[in-house]
Amino acid sequence: MAYLSIENVSKTFPGDGQEVQVVTPLTLNIAQGQIVTFLGPSGCGKTTVMRMVGGLETPTAGQITLDGALLRGPDRRRGMVFQSYAAFPWLTVAGNIRLGLKYRPDLPPQDHDAAVAQLIDLVGLNGFDDSYTNRISGGMRQRVAIARTLAADPDVLLMDEPFGALDALTREHLQNKLLDINRAAAKTTIFVTHDVEEAILLAHRLIVFSARPARLLEDIDVTAHLGTDQREQTLRDAPAFLDLRRHVQGIIRAEHARAEQDGAHGI
Amino acid sequence: MFGFRTSLPRRTELALGLAGLLLFLGLWHTASVSGWVKQQFLPTPFAVVEAFGRLFTERNFAGDILISVGRVWLAFFLSVIIAVPLGLLMSCYRALGALIEPFIDFVRYLPVPAMVPLLIIWFGVGEASKIAVLWMGTFFQLILLISDDTKRVPAEYIESGFTLGANQWQVIRDIVFPAALPNMVDNLRITLGWCWTYLIIAEIVAASSGVGHVIWSLRRFVKTPEVMAGIVAIGIIGLLTDQAFRWAHRRRFRYLER
Repeated sequence: MAYLSIENVSKTFPGDGQEVQVVTPLTLNIAQGQIVTFLGPSGCGKTTVMRMVGGLETPTAGQITLDGALLRGPDRRRGMVFQSYAAFPWLTVAGNIRLGLKYRPDLPPQDHDAAVAQLIDLVGLNGFDDSYTNRISGGMRQRVAIARTLAADPDVLLMDEPFGALDALTREHLQNKLLDINRAAAKTTIFVTHDVEEAILLAHRLIVFSARPARLLEDIDVTAHLGTDQREQTLRDAPAFLDLRRHVQGIIRAEHARAEQDGAHGI
Repeated sequence: MFGFRTSLPRRTELALGLAGLLLFLGLWHTASVSGWVKQQFLPTPFAVVEAFGRLFTERNFAGDILISVGRVWLAFFLSVIIAVPLGLLMSCYRALGALIEPFIDFVRYLPVPAMVPLLIIWFGVGEASKIAVLWMGTFFQLILLISDDTKRVPAEYIESGFTLGANQWQVIRDIVFPAALPNMVDNLRITLGWCWTYLIIAEIVAASSGVGHVIWSLRRFVKTPEVMAGIVAIGIIGLLTDQAFRWAHRRRFRYLER
């Protein structure tokens, strides 16, 4: 039984004169607790799919259901982490995380302090509680945004290239951190990226998208290839991981060649 | 000291600022005492300072200043309490923006001095017409500035709010307003400065009190030093208010410093 269900969803945006199709009818069923990564070339429409799940875009056709209920508009059930650092500069680290707790009817206010402390610990920002977010690094700011999203306790976690703007070292550190967090929180997650390694490393399941308009190219059960929960830094050098990476890179390369031959999309 | 785009030590900055001021005063004094310009038209800086003192001792200038400051702040307050919420809502709800923006753009281009006769017909020559002139001069500018400040709040901030479970009112209160606040306060500071321009116009046309009235009535007796002292007083009040605003801005929005 699918927990999060995307049924025949497509999206067209009004362009100048003619409509631009961004997502061709897509059907995807995601199980509860599954971490799914969306991989595809920049501007292919994978982010649009995620934004539709988040209720930030309305599907042109089709429907999205969560636990059997039709989704319409954004709410607390689907938390989102953006590529740009959306930590609020007028709030401290603790203040940002506290805002994530503010709209939860299920958590009494007297429990907020403890929850904030726990989340700060989870993302490893101990000692930075009272720092304003423009005095900390980009990687730390993104951890604040992740902690704030987790504070709202969403059913589904949506992450839009959250590490895209970070340097390689910080990025690897945060990827490992996210694996820890995912192990602790076991949230259904959609993670959008254009980085092949990241897409495999973080995923239970990897969806490869075509160039625009987004079409499902391949649906890979990463867990079946790599086993469950054996995800440490060493995994990056494991033969199974390297094989899978080569395979995915092959798909992407073939897709690039096809898109270039079509030429129509100007990639 | 003459490095390209370098910063200077604080003391050097102050010394240079003071030197510039002294140079200006020196030129002015020379022009006056040398007979280059008749003293009747350009009294020396010292004469202006003396006149400044006389304004306070011989006339109740402090009272006039208080009246003028009171008018400015009352009108400014009336502008702000309407323009801030309305400007905020205008940018959050496009329908409201589309409804009132064309009208505001039209009124914004009407020269306020041209409105003075009409406002006097409507409100008489009492306080109400002066407040109305100041309000006309600031409200329609301020509302668009506030609306622009709000529009510049990043979409990610607002979308974050909704996905955290906030409703529209909570997003406005907890995210849009605090995100736009530093720029809003800057625009309030600039708009308050304009109030003084319109105040003098209002007080010259129809008033029996206030800084503008004092300057205008002394003109009739060609008391040039007093007239200049009155103008200087407005400059000093403006400078102090501006600095107070900047100081409060720095204190309240410490997080903007890197």
